[in-house]
Amino acid sequence: MADDFDVEVISRDEDGRSARFLVRGLTPAMANGIRRAVVADVPTLSIDTVRFVENSSVMFDEMVALRLGLVPLTTPLDDFELGDTVTLALDVEGPATAYSGDLETSDSLVRPADENIPIIELKQGQRLEFEADAVLDTGKDHAKHQGGVAVGYRHLQRVEVLGDRDGFDEEEPHILRGVIETDEGELVHTEEFGADLTNRYPGKELAVTDVPDAFVFHVETDGSMDVDELVLRAVDSLRDRADELATKVAV
Amino acid sequence: MELRVLEKTDTELRIEVADEDHTFMNVLKGELLQTEGVAAATYDMNPEQSGGQTEPILSITTETGFDPLDALEEASNGVSDRMTTLYDELDAGFAGAA
Repeated sequence: MADDFDVEVISRDEDGRSARFLVRGLTPAMANGIRRAVVADVPTLSIDTVRFVENSSVMFDEMVALRLGLVPLTTPLDDFELGDTVTLALDVEGPATAYSGDLETSDSLVRPADENIPIIELKQGQRLEFEADAVLDTGKDHAKHQGGVAVGYRHLQRVEVLGDRDGFDEEEPHILRGVIETDEGELVHTEEFGADLTNRYPGKELAVTDVPDAFVFHVETDGSMDVDELVLRAVDSLRDRADELATKVAV
Repeated sequence: MELRVLEKTDTELRIEVADEDHTFMNVLKGELLQTEGVAAATYDMNPEQSGGQTEPILSITTETGFDPLDALEEASNGVSDRMTTLYDELDAGFAGAA
């Protein structure tokens, strides 16, 4: 029954950082498994150890190190294994603001996903210089390793036009979030008509029902990798675990 | 993933699946319930702070004539097959949208 999957991408950002897609044929358990795997099981690189050479800024070493950990780094997962490290360095002298873009990297494939994240503002005479090791780990270990930052799903909702609304009824807003499937089989996000069904179907009587086994995912990444890779890796991690279990049980 | 059989009879199995959480266990349980010969399947997990058993324990009861270990193997392969199909579908879907 659930073997017939059907995937339809509803929208996708050009930079590949966020996407909305529909998957039919999923069970709620699988949908949640994928969501959880995207958040906690796909590893990303993140700064974990910092060796300070000089820190005369107004923040303690620990505070700067925490901020560094939260800078998303691009993660080419094919080239790294869990626990692998990459060294980055930074040297900024005030008056200036140290940005994530000032980080020098020892591996050209691993760099800050955004160049404009402020690390700390340095005044005249203050200086920040350090060497840092980024390590590959999962979101289960620390939230800074989460590749997906806003991951969720909703049921697809079918909107059927039953007929005209009774002329004496007062028109009330009918607010609906998420993606709807129209009578014509069109997939429309409710944002396109202000999330109010009366804008799209004025004067109509409607029936809204959840479509069984159809889930609309919305996935946003921190830039470590694009949405396609993140989701595929999550599915892959579930498959790997199933394979591992099958092998161990068979023995 | 470390397995430890806690109890095994002809139609019942209680097995600890170390290092797993709801992410995989719930998918596996769902698949087991659709597997032929499985009468009941569930898993139990306690929170980190509970001080007791925190690794998930999978319990399977089968109908007579079906071995619970075989059912578990079949279900694991089932999950794997589904994920392979889903992977390909997603890959194609994203490729079409890019």
